[in-house]
Amino acid sequence: MTRTLTIHIRSGTMMNMDPNVMIKLAQAATDKGYKVNVFGYGEGVMAIKEGQDPRRFPNVGKAMDELAKQGVTFVVCETCCTARGIRRGEEIKTAKIGSLTNDLSRFVAESDRMVTLAR
Amino acid sequence: MSSILFIMLKSPYEYSSLDHLAAIGGDERTGVILFEDAVCFAVDKNKGQELLDVTDKVYVMRDDFAARGFSSISSRFILIDYPTAVDLIMEQYDQTITV
Repeated sequence: MTRTLTIHIRSGTMMNMDPNVMIKLAQAATDKGYKVNVFGYGEGVMAIKEGQDPRRFPNVGKAMDELAKQGVTFVVCETCCTARGIRRGEEIKTAKIGSLTNDLSRFVAESDRMVTLAR
Repeated sequence: MSSILFIMLKSPYEYSSLDHLAAIGGDERTGVILFEDAVCFAVDKNKGQELLDVTDKVYVMRDDFAARGFSSISSRFILIDYPTAVDLIMEQYDQTITV
């Protein structure tokens, strides 16, 4: 049975390099055959905003899109999105606006390991 | 006996609660992966020693170490890449705790 890693990210895409650690960890775990879930909470929800166009930082949204095509699941907290003015339809197409109760709890239940990236 | 892998992201000048690692780790087998600015623990003699005093092994992300212009490292620290980090997280330790 495939073992599962969940990454819980709470840092925004332009705050620090945590989202890039998330991307590299998710890619390495996927390459090794693990199932990977990513849950964004707090500022971590910014990673799913469509149309990111950073000039001096890696494009996290684009990297997530590529990872999603390889099977990585991306879900973020709806309440955190609403608080930041991110509405349904503004997320990258391969990510889902979900919830702590329905999604993070399921990820925790089905994961073998969980890594939190937060400040 | 279980094992704990700590994840550290902050520099030693931001994070000074290493006693938490000792308290949480207790008698368990423990390791630390240093990501981002936390790699500075590996080049600060005093801070590095303080970290080595409270955990069994200290792993340093090679990308983040090199990105900050560092090249030489004490043999007491272990430089690793992302595939190795995944092995540590998924296979070598029972749980991770971010501090």
